[in-house]
Amino acid sequence: MAPGRRSSTFTRLLRHGFTDPSAAERLLDSAEFAPMRDDPVLLDALGATADPDLALLGLVRLVEAQDGRTARHELLDTVIAAKPLRDRLLGVLGASAALGDHLIRHPRDWQALAMYEPRDLHPGVEEFERGLAQATDPVSLRVAYRRCLLSIAARDVCGTTDLAETAAELADLATATLRAALALARTAAPDDAALCRLAVIAMGKCGGHELNYVSDVDVIFVGEAVDGADEGKALRAATRLASHLMRICSETTVEGSIWPVDANLRPEGRNGPLVRTLSSHLAYYQRWAKTWEFQALLKARPVAGDVLLGEAYVAALAPLVWHAAERENFIVDVQKMRRRVIENIPVAEVERELKLGPGGLRDVEFAVQLLQLVHGRADTSLRSGTTLDALGALAEGGYVGRADAQQLDDAYRFLRSMEHRIQLFRLRRTHLVPEDEADLRRIGRSLGLRTDPVAELNREWKRHASVVRRLHEKLFYRPLLDAVAQLAPGEARLSTVAARERLVALGYADPAAALRHLEALASGVSRKAAIQRTLLPVLLGWFADSADPDAGLLNFRKVSDALGRTPWYLRLLRDEGAAAGNLARVLSAGRLAPDLLMRAPEAVALLGDGDGGGQLEPRGRAHLEQEILAAVGRADTGEQGVYAARGVRRRELFRTAAADIVGSYGTEQSPAEADQGALVDRVGGALSDITAATLAGTLRAVVRDGWGDTLPCRFAIIGMGRFGGHELGYGSDADVLFVHEPREGVDEHEASKAANTVVSEMRRLLQVPSADPPLLIDADLRPEGKSGPMVRTLTSYEAYYRRWSLGWESQALLRAEAVAGDAELGQRFIDLIDPLRYPAEGLGDDAVREIRRLKARMESERMPRGADPTLHTKLGRGGLSDVEWTVQLLQLQHGWAEPGLRTTRTREALAAACAAGLISGEDAAILDEAWVLATRVRNAVMLVRGRAGDTFPSDGRELGAIGRYLGYGPGHVGDMIDAYRRTTRRARSVVDTLFYGAAG
Amino acid sequence: MVRETGGLTSKDGKRKMDKQQEFVLRTLEERDIRFVRLWFTDVLGFLKSVAVAPAELEQAFDEGIGFDGSAIEGFARVYESDMIAKPDPSTFQILPWRAEAPGTARMFCDILMPDGSPSFADPRYVLKRALTRGSDLGFTFYTHPEIEFFLLKDKPLDGTRPTPADNSGYFDHTPTHVGQDFRRQAITMLESMGISVEFSHHEGAPGQQEIDLRYADALSTADNIMTFRLVMKQVALEQGVHATFMPKPFSEHPGSGMHTHLSLFEGDRNAFYESGSEYQLSKVGRSFIAGLLKHAAEIAAVTNQWVNSYKRIWGGSERTAGAGGEAPSYICWGHNNRSALVRVPMYKPGKTGSARVEVRSLDSGTNPYLAYALLLAAGLKGIEEGYELPPGADDDVWALSDAERRAMGIEPLPQNLGEALTLMERSELVAETLGEHVFDFFLRNKRQEWEEYRSEVTAFELRKSLPVL
Repeated sequence: MAPGRRSSTFTRLLRHGFTDPSAAERLLDSAEFAPMRDDPVLLDALGATADPDLALLGLVRLVEAQDGRTARHELLDTVIAAKPLRDRLLGVLGASAALGDHLIRHPRDWQALAMYEPRDLHPGVEEFERGLAQATDPVSLRVAYRRCLLSIAARDVCGTTDLAETAAELADLATATLRAALALARTAAPDDAALCRLAVIAMGKCGGHELNYVSDVDVIFVGEAVDGADEGKALRAATRLASHLMRICSETTVEGSIWPVDANLRPEGRNGPLVRTLSSHLAYYQRWAKTWEFQALLKARPVAGDVLLGEAYVAALAPLVWHAAERENFIVDVQKMRRRVIENIPVAEVERELKLGPGGLRDVEFAVQLLQLVHGRADTSLRSGTTLDALGALAEGGYVGRADAQQLDDAYRFLRSMEHRIQLFRLRRTHLVPEDEADLRRIGRSLGLRTDPVAELNREWKRHASVVRRLHEKLFYRPLLDAVAQLAPGEARLSTVAARERLVALGYADPAAALRHLEALASGVSRKAAIQRTLLPVLLGWFADSADPDAGLLNFRKVSDALGRTPWYLRLLRDEGAAAGNLARVLSAGRLAPDLLMRAPEAVALLGDGDGGGQLEPRGRAHLEQEILAAVGRADTGEQGVYAARGVRRRELFRTAAADIVGSYGTEQSPAEADQGALVDRVGGALSDITAATLAGTLRAVVRDGWGDTLPCRFAIIGMGRFGGHELGYGSDADVLFVHEPREGVDEHEASKAANTVVSEMRRLLQVPSADPPLLIDADLRPEGKSGPMVRTLTSYEAYYRRWSLGWESQALLRAEAVAGDAELGQRFIDLIDPLRYPAEGLGDDAVREIRRLKARMESERMPRGADPTLHTKLGRGGLSDVEWTVQLLQLQHGWAEPGLRTTRTREALAAACAAGLISGEDAAILDEAWVLATRVRNAVMLVRGRAGDTFPSDGRELGAIGRYLGYGPGHVGDMIDAYRRTTRRARSVVDTLFYGAAG
Repeated sequence: MVRETGGLTSKDGKRKMDKQQEFVLRTLEERDIRFVRLWFTDVLGFLKSVAVAPAELEQAFDEGIGFDGSAIEGFARVYESDMIAKPDPSTFQILPWRAEAPGTARMFCDILMPDGSPSFADPRYVLKRALTRGSDLGFTFYTHPEIEFFLLKDKPLDGTRPTPADNSGYFDHTPTHVGQDFRRQAITMLESMGISVEFSHHEGAPGQQEIDLRYADALSTADNIMTFRLVMKQVALEQGVHATFMPKPFSEHPGSGMHTHLSLFEGDRNAFYESGSEYQLSKVGRSFIAGLLKHAAEIAAVTNQWVNSYKRIWGGSERTAGAGGEAPSYICWGHNNRSALVRVPMYKPGKTGSARVEVRSLDSGTNPYLAYALLLAAGLKGIEEGYELPPGADDDVWALSDAERRAMGIEPLPQNLGEALTLMERSELVAETLGEHVFDFFLRNKRQEWEEYRSEVTAFELRKSLPVL
């Protein structure tokens, strides 16, 4: 620093951490502070506080507030002379504006900080009771309470006590305060006091002996009549005492309030009586209480009032707590509670929430309590009400890993310390990390982060929060592996029984098999086992989140058995962030994807980030065609060529299915795709591209085998139906027409024979049994249907369509698109049919009536017997066929005039119709939603069952998996069905108006 | 408070726990109960029962009892017919009508899908969902029904006219007739089952009875109504008569309504009450009524679900009104107006908790779970959308001319079941409240009833046309 530029005090102040040295200089300017201005010891002390500016200002104000010169000198002299007071006083002043204000209002209270002796360093309830003993009314109780709080804060900021001790002291002070308040209430109403015995049971953090600076103090009241008194009267007296006690603590007076006393954890919450007898409590918990109420009871501790009654309460209720885990839906309940907490935080605040946000304090507390309830029944050492003690006991007993417990312990302590320091500043009940720089700086410095407090604080906070966020994996799953892997001898491990209990709780139906798989995967000293041991905790969590955890684990074992020795496989899972999560999703979401994968496990590589990610993106038709044609070119025979093409197809099917699953479920890295339509389009487009490329390759292979380079005819394949519309599903056949044209100088008969041979050879080779799924070709939409020739010349199509064409054929041709073979011939076919499918001036009344009749007949005839029309995705009410026929009718009627309608794709045509004003935006949205949903369900059925189906499966687990794919959590299958019926019912009502012309 | 109104309440199935189950199992043993009836209600409102032996009960608590849902009206189609009835031990009750041992007991069930999630076909779940929506908005829904029914000497099944069990009128006290004994025994039996009865008297028509159940949350009330109907039929049989809840068994006498008083509570506070406002009716209360009125026509197919229901509404209400027939035909509200669909009863000074509105369209043949769900949904819709309450009707609306009613904006209820179904079919409110499954089944089933009725040649036609044509 350049000397002389500023006064030396200024630079000194700057160096000591003052942010506004000029202001500080002015404060120190008065004569009274002259001895302090240059006192390096004092400056060091100020510099050591969380906020030197605040500390100095507080000190100056405190000095000025002293009554008279003598008092001022006493304070100043003590500050200069006595280090303990100096550190404590300045520490408190620099960390808490609220306590600074208290000191100024009660200028003599600073002596509370000067006077305590070493034996006072860890006071208990009795010491605090003595501190509050002089209080005779709510106002003086508040003052005495703050005086005690002053000493706790001083020990806290000076590091005399650690987090756990501070929290315990705060709980002890709360206990003493409740006792004092009860004494005041009893004194005020001696008649009531004489009638009843009243015990105050602390719950929550006070009960757990781990209170915050400012938080509601949760209590439950138990009352009994004294011998001979009428119970009703006694309970009314006890209720009056209890509510007076609550008022004494909660009420805002000239001295503010202490903290709200919250009795809402009592039976029946707000609606229940404030005071109950012990037997009434017991009856409630035996009969009505819900899971969360038992979880809350973990922390119950008698703190004030009738000691015997309080102890009797805890003795009677504790056994119930330890049977809570046997309740049905126990785990589900607990997890639901946790989710609800997160969902209720305003989105804007979730990132700054210390307590309730993801990776927050509540996460640790919930997880610890959950494990206590699961394992505490058999193991009494786990029954502490204090989070950190319980965590320690869990580690001691081997229920969680020691290192994990240590990390969590650190994280919890850090986050709680942050919370304490945030609250201490203004003594406000808040769990939000402030946004203001100055606030963050003070908090960071108070936690010992001195160099760059704001950045360091943010970094540490995120680091600890992420430790907590990975909590489930650590707490729930890793000990399972330690249980089977039998490494690290000597460390306590989960017993097999406990491991099974936990697996069941996590949703595994066959825990014995699951343990066997885990053992196979994780035992041993191989590199593979080591890597899998690190991975499995994460994977188990993902599996448990799916509809079929058992299948997920089994499939993982299969993949691992097949690929375990392949170096890239383990590297992929270990190093590439997304791969493991993607794999877990894909393996547990149903049958189709694992089936495709098992046939050639190398495809796992697609799940990795690859070169910059994006391996799950569809490859595009041109790319695929190029690859398949090259593979066919390399093959020796046509058969081998088709085999190669089908191999590529299988891999691409897997890629599509995997991308669909990952996109639908979402992973840690990327949330689920919100646009359902985009998901459907991607699957339909990708599958249609794969099919087109496979057909192109197969055609090339067959032609080369039989005729070398050129067929005697030109040959093209026209995609129809869903294939032509780029809407293929996983299980769809490929609807096509075959068209050929004899080459110049070739006899038509010979050409036709060749074309027919090509078709039958293609069909044969595409369904020869092999490891790869067959591709079925369906040409039933050809002229004359099944009785017509399989292939026709272009001229023959022309003649047929000119003379015979039926209404439904024009409609079917709306979906025709050239997909493979001779592109020029394909284009001429399209030119040929355009006038048929987009007839000039639209359709006549007769034609419209005919289409409507045909559709109506189809609805009654084609629906399978016994099928539920409200759930049939294809022919059901508001299903695919309803929407498609409506759109197609619009295309037939208006396609000649509206170019946008000339598309083979349903959604595109619907959007064009809407843009052209042929259908209202609202109706179009309703139809689109129904079509997308029905398609999603069809895709889901195939993914889950590995077989196509037109309706929801009846098997519960399969139905659950479909729900997960569609975004419905466990237990919400009914909502999914209800939503499906609603969406399609609305669509049907649009179809009734638009297609059938019913009056709206 | 609510939880202690006897053994019938159960807001959700999860409340049961080992102790309560143990209590049930022990009671079975001690009281020598040989059969336990598991009760649930089908979509049309008929009570169904599966009897199990006590030995099977323990398993029933754990896994429920599987049954074929396709056998139950409106539950499932054949291929998805596996359903589970899970008894709620907190509704355990020994049935009082077989005094001698061995006895029989009953429990209400929740209907579950094979995966354990609640079935959308279960009317109890329909009401539970509606109540949940209410509680999401901070409201608890209480109801208090006045149930009318007839006691008949006989119950002919061939369509001939039944004979009422007596011939007295409103508030008559003839000491000897069967109604007296009947009521005494019925009330004793109801109270022994934990159902509190508020008041009972003889209604306006021969053989007609009215019993009022005490205020309770809507789900308890609906359970109680189901129990009540069975008890009434049982007691009647023991007295050698028949009880019927048919809405309108006699053309010339008033029908059997089920006027229901509704109120919403926000915590301990009656949300309908506001001191100083007109009729002490809060804004919430006014919007709630506006919702009931606005949606009255589209929910009529459920509140009045039988072909016969519309005979009660339109069958000479104006004539029978003076005699206690209080079926509203027109959609309006009033203060102590006996012709209004919604009545705001006189405010009792000092009883802020008792502020309520009375809906008078419901008849005794309704499915209480579905009807209460829809009334709540209609009222909540009014609150959420802030519907304005139209002016109340002070006049006797039956006495007005059509033109006068039109001028006042007073619409009629549907003329018949067919019209009601057409209105319901277009109602998103009904579809969302009932759930699509029940909505769809209900429409199909009732359409069929309406069509069967339309194709029937009635005594009326024969009487009018045969002599002259």
